[in-house]
Amino acid sequence: MSSRKQPKGKIRPPKKPNSADAQFNDNWDRLAQAIREIHKKNASILSFEELYRNAYNMVLHKNGDKLYNGVREVITQHLEEVAVSQVVPAFPLSGASSSQTNPNGAGGANFLKVLKTVWEDHTTCMLMIRDILMYMDRVYAKTANVPLVYDLGLDLFRDTIVRSQNYPIQNHLLEVLLQQIKLERENEIIDRTNVKASIDMLLELTDASTKDTVYATDFENKFLETSSEYYRVEGQMLVGEYDAPEYMKKVDKRLNEEEQRVRHYLSQTTEPKIRNIVEEELISKHLKTVIEMENSGLIPMLRNEKMDDLGRMYKLFGRVVKGHDEMKSAISDYIRELGKAINETVTSNTTAEGGNAASGDKQTGATVAVRWVQEVLDLKDKFDKVQNLALSNDKAFQTSFNEAFEYFINKNSKSPEFISLFIDDNLKKGLKGKTEEEVDSVLDKTITLFRFIGEKDVFERYYKQHLAKRLLLGRSVSDDAERGMIGKLKVECGYQFTTKLEGMFNDMRISSDTMTDFKEYLDKSVLEKPKLDLSVTVLTSTFWPMNLSASPRCNLPPELTKACGTFQNFYLGRHSGRRLTWQSNMGTADIRGSFKARKHELNVSTYQMVILLMFNDKQDGESLSYEQIKGESDIPEADLKRNLQSLACAKYKILVKEPKGKEINPGDQFNFNNDFTAPLQRIKIQTVASKVESEGERKETREKVEEARKHQTEAAIVRIMKDRKTMEHNLLIAEVVKQLQSRFMPNPALIKKRIEALIEREYLERATGDRRVYNYLA
Amino acid sequence: HSGLSKDLLSLLNDADDYNVIIQVGENRNMKEFRAHSVILRARSPYFKSAFSADWISKKNNMITINKPNIAPTVFEMVLKYIYTGELDLTKQSGEDILSLLVSSDELLIEELFNHVQDYLI
Repeated sequence: MSSRKQPKGKIRPPKKPNSADAQFNDNWDRLAQAIREIHKKNASILSFEELYRNAYNMVLHKNGDKLYNGVREVITQHLEEVAVSQVVPAFPLSGASSSQTNPNGAGGANFLKVLKTVWEDHTTCMLMIRDILMYMDRVYAKTANVPLVYDLGLDLFRDTIVRSQNYPIQNHLLEVLLQQIKLERENEIIDRTNVKASIDMLLELTDASTKDTVYATDFENKFLETSSEYYRVEGQMLVGEYDAPEYMKKVDKRLNEEEQRVRHYLSQTTEPKIRNIVEEELISKHLKTVIEMENSGLIPMLRNEKMDDLGRMYKLFGRVVKGHDEMKSAISDYIRELGKAINETVTSNTTAEGGNAASGDKQTGATVAVRWVQEVLDLKDKFDKVQNLALSNDKAFQTSFNEAFEYFINKNSKSPEFISLFIDDNLKKGLKGKTEEEVDSVLDKTITLFRFIGEKDVFERYYKQHLAKRLLLGRSVSDDAERGMIGKLKVECGYQFTTKLEGMFNDMRISSDTMTDFKEYLDKSVLEKPKLDLSVTVLTSTFWPMNLSASPRCNLPPELTKACGTFQNFYLGRHSGRRLTWQSNMGTADIRGSFKARKHELNVSTYQMVILLMFNDKQDGESLSYEQIKGESDIPEADLKRNLQSLACAKYKILVKEPKGKEINPGDQFNFNNDFTAPLQRIKIQTVASKVESEGERKETREKVEEARKHQTEAAIVRIMKDRKTMEHNLLIAEVVKQLQSRFMPNPALIKKRIEALIEREYLERATGDRRVYNYLA
Repeated sequence: HSGLSKDLLSLLNDADDYNVIIQVGENRNMKEFRAHSVILRARSPYFKSAFSADWISKKNNMITINKPNIAPTVFEMVLKYIYTGELDLTKQSGEDILSLLVSSDELLIEELFNHVQDYLI
């Protein structure tokens, strides 16, 4: 039983149909009249109780449909009248294309104002009508499945006013709204309340077929289309008239304006859509043009460090799909270009320097290296700053910058050597002006460059050489600084990378202890004491960069040979089974020279000492030829030339050469320079400590590196095969590459050769069934 | 909630701060009821609309409305139910109970309508 079923008893259907009809008509007439009064804003004369009761009775007496339809009719009539008497007269003067005659949109604004009033009146009336027809809503509308009366009112308003079939209200409305927005885009002040009222109205009305708002079905698409067109034109105009920073500011402003517009009087659902349009028309379509703008695009911004502009571009372009990619690739290209320029100045310098390598211009080589690293560091600093201040430390940008740095740094085949030289320069000269912290921070930065090096094994080789010279010549700033640097390398490359370097430090420490013991030994010994102070550093040959098979020859003076012998006996007595080889090319000597003016203490290399001592036996003015010196000393030619250069052609001319000149040539004659003067008593003859290698040396280093790589590759292969026992060719290659790439990038051909060598030496064999599979032979 | 019902009933009975006068019934069978608009509005959509700003006329802050088609005895029950949510129907005549059913429907007090209906079944 329905709860609304009419209860039995008191209330019955009236007996006479005629009187029921009359009752209905009477009730309805009053209601219709009341609705009209409501429309005329005369509600105060009406009685809610009575009207409600009328409607209640009508519904109660099964006349709900008649009531409902009657109400629909009254409201429709009223709205038709409103359309004719209020809306149509308010049409903007010259119709749809009124923008010319109506530049300020005053007619349009007025039209919106009228519409606002009409809409407000309608909703107010509908609320009152809803009140008195509440019983109809609750009882009739529900069971008859028709819209509640308020919604009925909205539908009628939609069909009679907004989408009127009789008057072009819709055209005018859309036209005026779009025109108002256009005016606002062109910096006119419009009355946003009127626009907002119309938009809110469209948002409240529902399209019957799509169930979407009339705003969405009738207005939004048109708005988006016109906006698209508007910004398409504006974009073309802006790129033509403004430079990149100004362009971006304009776009920023537009984006902001559109966002504000949506917030003030459009629907939030439109926000992403209009944003997409502005982004598409003003950013996506002009990405490249703006990036490549001459004198103001991305590269000029970088060049002039316009961080604000760069930051704006980053934010702005990040809104569109390709934006950051385009920026990244432009910046990367720029980095590569700058890197290439740095590489080129260095190459032109080194080739020039290489040309007069023998001229004794010792500093240039190292300077070029230091300058190259410094320039790369400056570049890195610059882009770190950009990254930090303008690019929100975006990881993707960082990666792409790193790739660019890696690219050009490895384009310079000397970069491992240069970086090592740069470190050498800092660890040597560190005390001159720089604090320890400063040195530390420079070295930290250098490590970032080190990361970019592909051939870390080559770097290691150079580093070892440079470190050896620092240690043996006592040129290091401090043990702490050296160890600090090695610590940094260890963090980067692991323990095995630095073991040998640490071994070098150990040798230095042990040698110092050994020398203390040696002195004690001499004091206690009954042997004749050497006539000179001998200081020996015992180096473990595998840790240090030396070549035992080609140990440098040199005829040492007898005094020295004797002292060496004493030490050798002492040392081998303590450590049996070791072999000592004298590395005369690495030593130094303090000797006293008597010149006409005064005596000087000369700090020279072992070779220089050997050369100078030859002149002890000679009379004043008696000269020695290059060939004589060479024959008697047996010093290797390259070393001999370099040392003679230091003595005869550099700052302190202890020897005088005939003929004069910077080059040492066969046939040159050398005299002891008795007239030598110098302000200081103690003089250090600069030895060629560290400089960029000559082409010959480089070739040699290269060969050593290749040789070392063979061993490392074989070691890796054996390590892997020992673990896996059996493995397919390509997998093995991939695994080897994986293990070695932190040191260098091995090429597959090299690995293949090493595999073959290992098969030959019976570490591996090819599997019988499949020749592409290897077995490990234990 | 018996305490709440009791207290609200006393609010209705001693309505010294009433702001609504409802004239119920017709002619000789008419009676004035005093009540509080907030409570009526909260309990019945009918009163909610009837007391909305669009419809009321106030004199000295007093709202006066008529309800001629309901008998005072029935309206008294309606009011009691509106205030307390309780109504003992056993002492009521069958005729009044049917009228109450009709009135609760008209005034859109669904809860009361169901209460009466349940009682009748």
